[in-house]
Amino acid sequence: MSIFSILSQKPWTSDQAKIDDKHSGKSSSMPLPRVALYVSMVVMGVLFTLFSVAYIGRMAYGDWRVLPEPPLLWFNSLVILMSSFAFHKATLSLKENNNRRTREYLFLAGALTLGFITGQLFVWRELVSFGYFVSTNPSYAFFYLLTALHILHLIGGLIAWLFVVYKSFTAEDESSNFPLSLNLCAIYWHFLLMVWLILFTMLLLT
Amino acid sequence: MSESIIPESELEEVELYHPKSWWTEKVFSQDAKLIAIQYGLTAFAIGFVALVLSWFMRIQIAFPEMAIISEGTYYQFITMHGMIMVVYLLTALFLGAFGNYLIPLMVGARDMVFPYLNMVSYWTYLVAVLVLFVSFFTPGGPTGAGWTLYPPQAILGGTPGQETGIVLMLVSLCIFIVGFTMGGLNYVITVLQARTRGMTLMRMPLTVWGIFTATVLALFAFPALFVSAVMMLFDKLLMTSFFMPALVEFGENLSYGGGSPILFQHLFWFFGHPEVYIVALPAFGIVSDLISIHARKNIFGFRMMVWAIVGIGALSFIVWAHHMYVSGMNPYFGFFFATTTLIIAVPTALKVYNWILTLWKGNIHLTIPMLFCLGFIVTFLNGGLTGLFLGNVIVDVPLSDTYFVVAHFHMVMGIAPVLVILGAIYHWYPLITGKMLHDGMGRFHFWITFVGSYLIYFPMHYLGFIGVPRRYYEMGQTEALYTSSAADLNVFITIAALAVGFAQLVFIYNVFWSAKNGKVAEKNPWKSTSLEWQTPEQPPIHGNFGKELPVVYRWAYDYSVPGAEDDFIPQDVPNEKVKLAEGYTELGVEKT
Ligand code: HEM
Ligand SMILES: [Cu+2]
Repeated sequence: MSIFSILSQKPWTSDQAKIDDKHSGKSSSMPLPRVALYVSMVVMGVLFTLFSVAYIGRMAYGDWRVLPEPPLLWFNSLVILMSSFAFHKATLSLKENNNRRTREYLFLAGALTLGFITGQLFVWRELVSFGYFVSTNPSYAFFYLLTALHILHLIGGLIAWLFVVYKSFTAEDESSNFPLSLNLCAIYWHFLLMVWLILFTMLLLT
Repeated sequence: MSESIIPESELEEVELYHPKSWWTEKVFSQDAKLIAIQYGLTAFAIGFVALVLSWFMRIQIAFPEMAIISEGTYYQFITMHGMIMVVYLLTALFLGAFGNYLIPLMVGARDMVFPYLNMVSYWTYLVAVLVLFVSFFTPGGPTGAGWTLYPPQAILGGTPGQETGIVLMLVSLCIFIVGFTMGGLNYVITVLQARTRGMTLMRMPLTVWGIFTATVLALFAFPALFVSAVMMLFDKLLMTSFFMPALVEFGENLSYGGGSPILFQHLFWFFGHPEVYIVALPAFGIVSDLISIHARKNIFGFRMMVWAIVGIGALSFIVWAHHMYVSGMNPYFGFFFATTTLIIAVPTALKVYNWILTLWKGNIHLTIPMLFCLGFIVTFLNGGLTGLFLGNVIVDVPLSDTYFVVAHFHMVMGIAPVLVILGAIYHWYPLITGKMLHDGMGRFHFWITFVGSYLIYFPMHYLGFIGVPRRYYEMGQTEALYTSSAADLNVFITIAALAVGFAQLVFIYNVFWSAKNGKVAEKNPWKSTSLEWQTPEQPPIHGNFGKELPVVYRWAYDYSVPGAEDDFIPQDVPNEKVKLAEGYTELGVEKT
């Protein structure tokens, strides 16, 4: 039901009461963890958007210097893309009831993510070795800040990933919600991939 | 209508968390009701600090020759007073305390949907408060940058607390935001997904609507404060230049360069204005319910009230730059923001009309909660009207940074929401403790607080007109600006402020005294329809409702329904169980 039709209800009339009495009390049939993930993603989206707005706003000032683009960044982007893809494959394998394959892809996704984080740290080291410190120019400062924030979100994701890996060993149980957890983890990874691609594009455009 | 058409419960009965030891039951509790009380007590404790700071400031302003505090300390006190009041007291009270207590009970849930996260949210908030408090005892003391923390001065030498105070302030804010976000997820998702059967969104009491919408606003607005705090921490600790322009300090070139202080102002007020409504919307919701209950009438224009809450919430994100009229902005920009600011006054005024129309011909009980509500309407109206003045660029420019502004924001977001909080405590105290607050002390508290606040802030408008600037610890001898009558007025204001402060001590005493010695409250003492009063026990125990969750058959405003014997019908009573008044065959149908 759209927000407008909800807001135009007249809850005090007896006609509306007949409809309302049958209401289950939930606004959506989604399971709770999914709602929680979506709401959190909105909040994270706001956070990254505001940082980006500040980035673009700050860019307009005269002292802005173009950021060097270490080629390693392209490689890292490929790695995070692949980790997202591995998650995708894991969900597909689960649909085919291939638990072993699912777990393999799950491990691959985690390993690739760790690879991405390590790669980003190498980018930092490279920049520092060129003498590009946080305080050298706001463009570098933003680079360090935004990549760090993104890595923090990935680390949060990796903690969730540990739980999912753990659950994958009990996936055969009737009561297991492993499929849902895996699905949510994959969505979160796709989200962080999107965030990275947007950040990367922004860095390239300066 | 028979009961059989009610669908089977779709909500799986959730396994309630059962505490295993004294510690997990009473301290690290996951019960939203106890978390609410923890939030409330912590907020009041730190809020009391802010109140005491205001006494020092008022004494300093009235009797500068006593010099009880130095000019640096004055700035530190202003800053801590403002920030604590706005963020650590009001936001935490409305969302953390009232949100936690009332949301699950009012929508018919056993608890919040993520109780563990809810507990972590409180302890994170406590850490934020402690970090802030510790800054009083660090070398250099707390920050004196003003609650707006504008760079560049916030982190430069010459501003008190620039050594560690400002760092602790920014860190504390970040912690607060992380903690709030955990709670906020809970409030939003509980409202959306954990209501009981029959509880549609439009059947929720306005209190829940207000808290819910305010939480959504906060989830969008607090990230802006987070971003500005993190970036300022970088500027301070890592010498970046996000906000810092090239500067010469004491003849020395600083390594900063090119940053934009205005960028900070935009980010800060993108948070700061919605923050006003994060505090105001729950107050609007609570006031609507209290007025309806204590005037025994349904709320006038219920749907409009919901629309206004949602509309104000949305609009509040496009008015922020009215705080920046004197920052040298493009006049067209100012025109845009003046327009949106005046537009937001429309739904706000509508709410005031509806409250008054609810009172109109109501069966008004002058209970203490009702007194506070009436006080709120008058105060909010006053503060809202001066807001219209300040919303216009040409009127604001001369009044900016004078006591007119101090009077305006204290009326609208200081006193008004505090009156609601106090009224709400008198209203829900019987539910929380099972005892009534002492009536005589309560009435004394109300009259001194309400009249006293007026005596404090009404004269300040006049001080602002004659140009007395805000944030001055001493006005000096400039007879042109600071006439001797203004000085006398300031003495008067200070006496009123101390009296109001004293009344709060009486209130605190009352809260503790009544918890032990108060009259035992009868069940549902205000005869309210909403679910929180329909629990089997009063105060409600862990799990809130008995074996079965209540089923909701009506909206929350069935007061004085024609045909019903009682003047209220609780939300969980179906039509066929309503006791009819004599001469009626059905609700609203008279025997012929
Ligand atoms: C009766 C209680 C209160 C008294 C006596 C009081 C007094 C004061 C005083 C003396 C100032 C400094 C004015 C100046 O020199 O510019 C001030 C500032 C302020 N107060 Fe209050 N206040 C009270 C309650 C509140 C409440 C409940 C709020 C909650 C919103 C609040 C929010 C602020 C803010 C935001 C500032 C501005 C701080 C700044 O300029 O950075 N006050 N108050
Ligand atoms: Cu504003």
